[in-house]
Amino acid sequence: MDMTWISILLAVGMLVMLTFGVWVSFTLIAIGGLGLILSENYQVGMLFATGSWGAATSWSLTALPLFIWMGEVLFRTRLSEDLFEGLAPWLGKVPGKLLHVNILSCGIFAAVSGSSAATAATIGRMTLPELRKQGYSERMAIGTLAGSGTLGLLIPPSIILIVYGVAAEVSIARLFIAGALPGLLLICLFMGFTMIWGHLHKDELPSTTTQDTSWSARFKSLGKLLPVTGLIGFVLGSIYGGLTTPTEAAAIGVTGSLILAACTGSLTRQSFIDSLLGAVKSACMIGFILIGAHFLTLAMGFLGIPSALAQWIASLGLSPIVLILYLTVFFVVLGCFLDGISVVVLTVAVVLPMVKSAGIDLLWFGIFIVLVVEMSQITPPVGFNLFVIQSLTGKNILYVAKAALPFFLLIAVAIILITWFPEIVTYLPTTMSKG
Amino acid sequence: AEKWHMPTPYGDGNLPTQIDYAFAKEIKAKTNGELEIVVHSGGSLVKHTEIPRSVKTGQVQIGDIFMGILGNQNPVFKHDNIPFLATSFDQAQALWAAAKPEIEKALDKDGMKLLYAVPWPAQSLYTRNPVNSLADLEGEKMRAYSPSTSRLADLMGTIPTTIQVPDIPQAFSTGIIQAMVTSPSTGVDSQAWDYVNNYTDIKAWIPKDIVIVNKRAFRRLDKNIQDIVLAAAKNAETEGWKRIVERAAKDKATLAENGMTISEPSAELTTQLEAIGKTMETEWTAEAPKEIGRILTRYHQELGQ
Amino acid sequence: MNSFKEKCYQCSGLLSGLGIVIITLLLLAQIIGRLFGFIVPSAGDFAGYALAASTFLGLAYTFREGGHIRVTLVIQRFSPVPRKIQEAVILTLSLALLCFLSYACSSMVYESYIYDDVSYGYIPVPLWIPQLPMAIGIIALNLAVLDAWIMALRGKTPTYSRHEDALALEEI
Ligand code: NA
Ligand code: NA
Repeated sequence: MDMTWISILLAVGMLVMLTFGVWVSFTLIAIGGLGLILSENYQVGMLFATGSWGAATSWSLTALPLFIWMGEVLFRTRLSEDLFEGLAPWLGKVPGKLLHVNILSCGIFAAVSGSSAATAATIGRMTLPELRKQGYSERMAIGTLAGSGTLGLLIPPSIILIVYGVAAEVSIARLFIAGALPGLLLICLFMGFTMIWGHLHKDELPSTTTQDTSWSARFKSLGKLLPVTGLIGFVLGSIYGGLTTPTEAAAIGVTGSLILAACTGSLTRQSFIDSLLGAVKSACMIGFILIGAHFLTLAMGFLGIPSALAQWIASLGLSPIVLILYLTVFFVVLGCFLDGISVVVLTVAVVLPMVKSAGIDLLWFGIFIVLVVEMSQITPPVGFNLFVIQSLTGKNILYVAKAALPFFLLIAVAIILITWFPEIVTYLPTTMSKG
Repeated sequence: AEKWHMPTPYGDGNLPTQIDYAFAKEIKAKTNGELEIVVHSGGSLVKHTEIPRSVKTGQVQIGDIFMGILGNQNPVFKHDNIPFLATSFDQAQALWAAAKPEIEKALDKDGMKLLYAVPWPAQSLYTRNPVNSLADLEGEKMRAYSPSTSRLADLMGTIPTTIQVPDIPQAFSTGIIQAMVTSPSTGVDSQAWDYVNNYTDIKAWIPKDIVIVNKRAFRRLDKNIQDIVLAAAKNAETEGWKRIVERAAKDKATLAENGMTISEPSAELTTQLEAIGKTMETEWTAEAPKEIGRILTRYHQELGQ
Repeated sequence: MNSFKEKCYQCSGLLSGLGIVIITLLLLAQIIGRLFGFIVPSAGDFAGYALAASTFLGLAYTFREGGHIRVTLVIQRFSPVPRKIQEAVILTLSLALLCFLSYACSSMVYESYIYDDVSYGYIPVPLWIPQLPMAIGIIALNLAVLDAWIMALRGKTPTYSRHEDALALEEI
């Protein structure tokens, strides 16, 4: 069968299955299998088993369940209240009020987590119930979380930057440092937007600020932030003190949060098992979707669909700026159906040669790709942050996606900014090279 | 027309992958498109560790692997991972000629056929501080990722330390490790100058990628196409041994250009390392005395000539 | 019978959790080993095996708890009868898919066993051992889907759906 027809058939098949309530992971696997059969490859079962075994045992993914577990443990402590009480006096008078807690705590947590799903899950578990209780606009609470959860990928450590660095042969240490300023830029954009929104929609925020925003209250509240900053200091300290690698730091994070839970008296046999079962639920869901995406990726690799698309773009002979524009659209469309890691793994081999020949810096391109992947995390039907937030809130995916739309556009603004001023990406790595 | 899928573990910048592309191109041209080999580089289709199994079971027809990863299946696959056994490209070629029959036999047992091998530049020593003798490394932490690299670290008086590849830069800059043994190509790929200063050209061993094909898939080809594949394989191997020499020099130059200190090992260091090599050769032989004995006998004959 | 089933689901969740604990302990052992200068051989490999075991063994528990994500936007608006038909149809399809996956994973483990496949890392581990939990996990998920399928055919609401509805109620 002609490849165009196969592509259309697969896309339609996927849409129909998803619409009629087939589980996302099952759909990805079924469509992958269908793709293989249509390409006259009949070793579907064997390819699934070996491919999944490879995907499920990957070293970089071992940190994922640990960071999720860490979130579940922290969720059962007083940390969420503390975070609020600690940040509230500082943010109570800022337009948008405690919505900024979502953004700031995602930004802080991203410094210890390598994945955006884990960041959204951990912070969302802490902040969403609290924001709802205090009467904040649910839509904005979800939107800020979906948007800033993606910071987990940009602010180092980052699983996706590792994947890109390996595939594109760019130094991972440099990529990590390059992600820091764009991460801060995104935080500023998100907070700026939230302030403007807060200014315009005072009716969707709790009318009275119960928080005491005097300076004495602010400094007293800093004590509340000690446990969380202590934990982050513990994890970062173990990385920069030469005790652990960023991947292993997840185990330090779990240990730290268990100690924290024990110290605050919230660690019991029951809460330990509950936190573990909670982690199982999210980790298995994400893990099986990753396995499904990996299998679909494999099938598309056999079919040659992504490489055909990329070659078609290459054949147009575009200027760097137009190329970046086209690639953004291409990645966003692809990102609607595939997870970020698959998008990178699948396309890097084909896209990089043309990026290189257009004279685009590969380090810069890595950060660009992460920003685009961040956008894909919040676009339906396949977007990990959407799934995570759907499972946290029970809101349907389109509602979550709509809430996240402004943040999708803000990431697009960040892409325009780093294209205009590439120094945002390249400045820190150049100063890092030894003097 | 027949279409084969060929997964490779390394990215397009690496020599083995480039040779694979040339190999595929030559076959497509010479068979007038009767056999098309689609190269999927950088583990994009199949993860490195799964490639041998995928070829063995026929999920893909052909694949490129780093030969050392089969070392646990059969110790003969480790012949190019034994430190200081073959340290120049000439010696490495002689060792390959000596080991080839055993490799072919072992692959054949698993339903696979050897097509060609492409060498990597020699594995050398990356350290934070300059090294004149093993005393300079005493008690430092060296990266180990296999029993033989761990044993090597032991014998060098260092502490073997496990670090996964993505974590290497961070591990150096935060002091988790102070030394590792890897090729100049890998050093260039990972921009080693960002995190480590000294490169000592000890040429510990010269590992190879091999390209293997599923026996049944190969048998199904027409006789004349089989011949074209074998001829292309021969060209690929010749090209690989030829290009690796300049590639090794170029990669070493790149390391120097980016500010790394490149040095030859001192006489003392060389003597110490050769002694370690002897110990490890003996230990390796003990793993499969018959097969490895045959490899070593043939190797010393080849060198003697 | 029902309490036995309950125990099996619980077991699936706990075993998966155990996998996460093992990953944590392995990574901690590797960190501590580095501090005191000993090596935990193949810690990375074993962490990967524990990850696979944890992911697959917990699938059944996650399925039953309504943890696997799906788009409920459209099907929520169906009236009861079409909704029941839709659920039965997708469960039948899912059951067929999982029977196939169970077969595929089991035969991979069997092949690893007859081919004597070993891992390539530090310690040569016969691969069928760490792969076994993967096959068991998929078969367990297969049984969980079968369980839901039987419930759907008997006209009952599958358990996962109850969890999904509970979440949906919270929303209002
Ligand atoms: Na991060
Ligand atoms: Na998406």
